[in-house]
Amino acid sequence: MSETPPLDLILQNVTKTYGGVTAVDDVSASISTSAITALIGPNGAGKTTLFNAITGFDPADSGSITFGGDSLAGLKPWQVAHLGLIRTFQTPVGFTTLTVRESMLSAALHHSLETPRKALIFSRQIKEVEQQATEQAIEIATELGLIDLFDFRTDELSSGDRKLLEFARQLMANPKMLLLDEPAASVAPNNIGRLAQLILRLRDERGLGSLIIDHNLSFLMQIADTVHVLDRGAVIASGTPEEISTNQDVMRIYLGEKADEV
Amino acid sequence: MTNPIFWAGVLSLALIYGSIALVLNLESGWGGMWDLGTAGLLGAGGYSYVLLTLDNPDLGTRFLPGWPMWLAWIGASLFTGLVALAIAIPSLRLRREYFLITTLALAEIIRQLIVIQKDITRGHTGIANLDRPLDSLVDARTYNYIFLGITAFAAVIVYLITRRLGHSAYGRTLRGARDNEALALSLGKPVNQMRIKTFVLSGMLIGAIAPLYVFYLRAISPGVYASGITFHVWTALVLGGIGSAFGGLFGGLLLIVFTEGIGLVHIGAFPDAVKENFSIGLLLVLVLRFRPDGVFSERRTFRARTRTISESDTRTSDQLSTAGQK
Repeated sequence: MSETPPLDLILQNVTKTYGGVTAVDDVSASISTSAITALIGPNGAGKTTLFNAITGFDPADSGSITFGGDSLAGLKPWQVAHLGLIRTFQTPVGFTTLTVRESMLSAALHHSLETPRKALIFSRQIKEVEQQATEQAIEIATELGLIDLFDFRTDELSSGDRKLLEFARQLMANPKMLLLDEPAASVAPNNIGRLAQLILRLRDERGLGSLIIDHNLSFLMQIADTVHVLDRGAVIASGTPEEISTNQDVMRIYLGEKADEV
Repeated sequence: MTNPIFWAGVLSLALIYGSIALVLNLESGWGGMWDLGTAGLLGAGGYSYVLLTLDNPDLGTRFLPGWPMWLAWIGASLFTGLVALAIAIPSLRLRREYFLITTLALAEIIRQLIVIQKDITRGHTGIANLDRPLDSLVDARTYNYIFLGITAFAAVIVYLITRRLGHSAYGRTLRGARDNEALALSLGKPVNQMRIKTFVLSGMLIGAIAPLYVFYLRAISPGVYASGITFHVWTALVLGGIGSAFGGLFGGLLLIVFTEGIGLVHIGAFPDAVKENFSIGLLLVLVLRFRPDGVFSERRTFRARTRTISESDTRTSDQLSTAGQK
């Protein structure tokens, strides 16, 4: 544990219970910010609960979570985002009435510039920042193929385009690491390969790693550097995709050899 | 019916309503806070203004600071901002209809507090014959024109302020947080802080408009600040277009001029109160039948482009492909 690079996301003995149910049970893991890490497990295994615990939406009961050496304990979701941990949500609803441009600029600006006082008085400073952010947004939108939709509202985009906007927004927010909640859900099967390439490109070209939850195992096994398997709140296996795909415990969870236990 | 002095008064009232509707649009339209407490804030502003100017011991009230008009005006705005803060901190823990009910209740509490504090406010009796700005310059009949100028000036100022806020980076993220609070949080936006600021700012603006309404009435009493005024302002905003920068002002003008116009027509056995509600209902149906988003719309304010359906069908699949392959 002591030799892990300080930038990593480190979970130690994280536990979260709801009433009598232990949703996340003593989970420890060290997750690299420059690699692609998959978090898999059947429904109810605690994947989303763990995500919410990391991002401050629903804090853990015990254990510690640190990112880049900073403890995330007691931080609000927006404070976690300022450390560079930027998450997505299962359904890419987005800022429905904002245009692609507005969504991306909103993601880029620091909230201290977004006050009524700054809006009414110090407009020159904002103008410069907006100018810079717009240039960056055009660059990213061009890269992702969203530039033709730059001034369209989010609620007018197809779900595929909204998924791209999710990435576009996150990249504008200066992430150190992405937390992707089911990125392949609601993506047409023939587009999943391209989504995988996009995530790989972010790792290779920007050194930007991802922690990914998804149900689509073939998609995750294709891109992940490391896989953690959760079952009933606990990590039951960790390793490379090759190791995981031959692990007996994992096979049992997914293939359901429950009959043996009865 | 064609008396210009009468219509100058009607337009003044319409501009006051329109200005309040513009502020309501800031907090509710863009901020997503469904506030039914407008009457309470307007009451806090109106009463704090009047009470701060009082200097006549014959009124029998204990609180006679006797501030000059301009100072009391500023004081009313600041005081209403404080009241808004006191409302915002507990209420903004709630969302949507729960927030709506809470603000409605708190507005009524403010009104009841005004009724109870007889020593200071004279309770239900209220205070009449209030001074108005520039009152001494012209005779009472032509004062309506001066007042129209004052309210028009105020409406323009409120419009410019709210428009600028709406188009700013602050307004953009405020609308984003309205659409998707969790997403705004995940992008590092302190949504609750932003909303509290917005609510307090709205309170200060309403507090600054409130003295105009007092000047219009030339008197103040708790009955003025019942919830009816809140619903009228909401109606104005819905007519003009929730989320548009100009809609509230337009809606206020439309609502007041239309209802006052109908009020002049004598329709048999229709009592005035029934006629007013009837005309508001008629106006709502007529406008929303043809313009469901109100006369102006949020989309037009922020100039979003509209795409055709065929375009979206063909683009989707090649979109991800170019993104992935580059």
